[in-house]
Amino acid sequence: MKRVFAWWRRRRSEAWQEEIDSHLALRAEWNQAHGIAPEEARRQARRQFGNSLATLEAVRAVYVRPWVETLVQDCRYALRGFRKAPAFSAVAIATIAIGVGAASAVFSAIDPVLFRPLPYPKDEQLVSVGYSAPVDNYEFHIVSSYLDWRQHQTAFQSLTAMRPGGQCDLVAGETVLQLGCVAVEDNFLQTFGVQPLLGRSFRPEEDRPHAPTVLLISYGLWQRVFGGDPHILGRLVTLDEEHSRIVGVLPRGFEMPQLGNPDVLLPARLDDSLPRSANSSSMLRAFARLRDGVTMEQAREQMQPLFEQALRLDVPAELRSEVRLVIRSLRDRQIHEVKLASWMLLGAVVALLLIACANVANLLLARAASRRRELALRAAIGASGARLARQMLTESLVLGLAGGAAGCGVAWALLRFSVRLAPEGLIRLEQARIDLRVLGFALAVSIGSAVLFGMAAAVERPRAETLAGSRAPGMGRTWFRKSLVAAQVALSLMLLAGASLFLRSLWKLENQPLGFRPERLVTASFTLRRHRYQPAAAQAAFFRELEARLASIPGAGPFAVSDSIPPRGSMGRPYSNIRIAGHRALAANGGMVAFRRVTPGYFQALGISILAGRPFTESDRASGEWPVILSATLARRMFGNENPIGQRIALDGAGAWSMVVGVAADAKNNGISAPADPEYYRLRMNDGRGVGREGVALFRSGLDPASLTLWIRRELAGLDPTLPVTVETMETRVGRFAERPRFVATLVALFAGIGLLLAGVGLYGVLSFLVSQRTQEIGVRMALGAQARDIALQVQGYAAVWTGIGVVLGLAGALALTRTVRGLLYDVVPGDPISLSLAVMALAAIAALAAWIPAHRAARVDPVVALRQQ
Amino acid sequence: MKRGDQLQGTLELLILKTLEREPNHGFGITLHVQTVSDGLLRVEEGSLYPALHRLDRDKLIEGEWRQTPNGRRARIYALTAAGKKRLREAEANWTTVAKGVQRVLRVV
Repeated sequence: MKRVFAWWRRRRSEAWQEEIDSHLALRAEWNQAHGIAPEEARRQARRQFGNSLATLEAVRAVYVRPWVETLVQDCRYALRGFRKAPAFSAVAIATIAIGVGAASAVFSAIDPVLFRPLPYPKDEQLVSVGYSAPVDNYEFHIVSSYLDWRQHQTAFQSLTAMRPGGQCDLVAGETVLQLGCVAVEDNFLQTFGVQPLLGRSFRPEEDRPHAPTVLLISYGLWQRVFGGDPHILGRLVTLDEEHSRIVGVLPRGFEMPQLGNPDVLLPARLDDSLPRSANSSSMLRAFARLRDGVTMEQAREQMQPLFEQALRLDVPAELRSEVRLVIRSLRDRQIHEVKLASWMLLGAVVALLLIACANVANLLLARAASRRRELALRAAIGASGARLARQMLTESLVLGLAGGAAGCGVAWALLRFSVRLAPEGLIRLEQARIDLRVLGFALAVSIGSAVLFGMAAAVERPRAETLAGSRAPGMGRTWFRKSLVAAQVALSLMLLAGASLFLRSLWKLENQPLGFRPERLVTASFTLRRHRYQPAAAQAAFFRELEARLASIPGAGPFAVSDSIPPRGSMGRPYSNIRIAGHRALAANGGMVAFRRVTPGYFQALGISILAGRPFTESDRASGEWPVILSATLARRMFGNENPIGQRIALDGAGAWSMVVGVAADAKNNGISAPADPEYYRLRMNDGRGVGREGVALFRSGLDPASLTLWIRRELAGLDPTLPVTVETMETRVGRFAERPRFVATLVALFAGIGLLLAGVGLYGVLSFLVSQRTQEIGVRMALGAQARDIALQVQGYAAVWTGIGVVLGLAGALALTRTVRGLLYDVVPGDPISLSLAVMALAAIAALAAWIPAHRAARVDPVVALRQQ
Repeated sequence: MKRGDQLQGTLELLILKTLEREPNHGFGITLHVQTVSDGLLRVEEGSLYPALHRLDRDKLIEGEWRQTPNGRRARIYALTAAGKKRLREAEANWTTVAKGVQRVLRVV
């Protein structure tokens, strides 16, 4: 680059020179024509022309803007300066690189979460609509009231819905694939403003009950399975044993509104001819596009009457008080769980960046102090104050940009580390990359920080009297530097406080009693295909055979089969639906009760203790009774101090009476950070009661999990070779629930560690500087009889004062700010004294270390040497 | 783009007027101005070239390396459309100023 410029500059100068030469030649020729001797003619031409160098400069000045010239000069000067002080430059650039790199990495991770537009046109109009109730973390809808809304609503341009979840088997030629399939309404794509890449969206007549199945396939499936065949439209495939026609291909990168990339979309085919009770137990996710100029509040107001009507028609009276109407932006629906974490990470990284800036400002100030004579000299020979200030700013900018460039490398590495650490740590984290937007951010941050720390260095005007001698730096400026250190200490304490809170919370999360023992437990989960196991008897037969095979587990150990396992729950049923024989109805507002259907070995295999009564037995499975076991929380809630064993209860509105045979200890069933929901267990009966298509086999033995994994895969393949199975250890399963907290805690701890290091370096730098500036003073005092210890104590005293001020400010800041992240903490309060003391202790230790070195250097000052320097 | 410096403006006017007759090189311009003004006006080379490049930069004239009739390479400048327009303005401006100055001189 530099060479190109130099070459270009030379070429231009040569052209100007040639023009002048040509002028001289023409003049000489003319002179000669007027009878002057050739030699004399040339001499006169030159004399007439005058100073050709000055002319050349004047021509150059026509093209070069003066400020560009100055800027180039300043940059060159800065670069020369940095080359002469490589240690200073390396430390400064590395510090900026860490600050800018961390900030850019976090930005690239949270940009898609918080800022980047969603992949739909006019995405700000898209909302998620539904009920919020304790059943689900997300708002949902039910078919019966959705059908009313669809018909009567006027608040939205369009309202659409999809059935949640969904897997299907696709047979295309020889291959059988288990795919992610989502059933959506015909106006689904149109509501989101998405056009199929090929073909068309569903037609209304295709979205009627019992209409033949038509499909939209994803770009990925089209490429992977159909080789991107351009004549795919109209192709017949078998989907869940039904002939289905492909009518379109989704655009590349199509993303569902609740995130995720399905392979196949098919029509939802909601059936309004079904009885209301059937439709009210079937769930949907609903989305809508607001009309132009209509706000979410207005839409909510307009939807309120329909919502109240739906409550009356579809929600049992005792549950109504727990159900609310939710209309929120699609982005809020998507980032639900990670919004707070994203903002918090951004805040942490800004704190780190500020610490880095303070460090560089301090470095620049120290450098300016050693350069004051040079600057004073330049001021004395005529450089204006503004010119010098501008030069200081240029130097900071050069530093900032160099640091920023290195920072992009740091950002890339940090991003790779984050994705490795926890792919699920943030939504769309695996999509995060260093692109133009992030580079732009890095550039802006570099320039911003350069201006910030450059200002600090530029405010100091060199005074002519500095030329006169080596006076100690003015009080004003060391005061400024010390406040920078105090600010650094404060910021780094806040980061430390955050980190220790998150780490403590993570530790508690990972070491809490779960209510079951995950060690060495292997789980294999699967869902039987609807069409292969059509009569319920086929399902029961499959599970009987599975249990028989589990009984011969190598190494012999406990085993069980269930339809779901902790720490996740099941859909749950309303508490108020339960009845107790001979008791009054249970309270409304009881929330939801989880339930599982298990084999007798369940409690032993999971290590859940039976607190009262007995576990299920094999003989129970053959009897006509259908026994039930309650969790401790549920038993306490239902029976208080009464003995639940032997009580008869009905578990759903229509159900028969069951006898409570035991009470089991609570086990986490709602993730690992929330307290356990009340729960009951039913037995999987021999006659097929309690058996469904969902299954989890769990077992433990003396053998290592890896070989058990192979064994169970082989056994299940023997039962049904086409059945897709997920095998993992219970510890992996539980660990996944701590993934996000671990991600947040690790990043904040990393930032806090770097921040602490930087603050320590900052303190060390300022103290070393003070000691070197005061060598003479120290020498005099030692000559007058001061002890080495007194000198060291004095330096450490400085450190203590400024660290102390920083700690006080930092504690105040930490108390104020950690309050906002309460939602990210588990079993730790924001002002947790243990976490805060740990943070202060870590900081104090580093500060003491940083002060120790300069203090001892001060104590070793030799008065003779120090005074001779005068 | 009004230049405060009247002298510089005059030089530019002279250059533009000279080039209106025919494209010419720097030396040709000095020669022409000197001849036409009967030696009253002399263009200094030290001012001429910066002025030429200023006009070139502002796209009022256009320079090109060419052969002169007697076989020398020289940078020949020609008026552009914008240059012609500027010349009209500058001429009108000059006439007004000259008239005004003359009247003032007559009164005093």
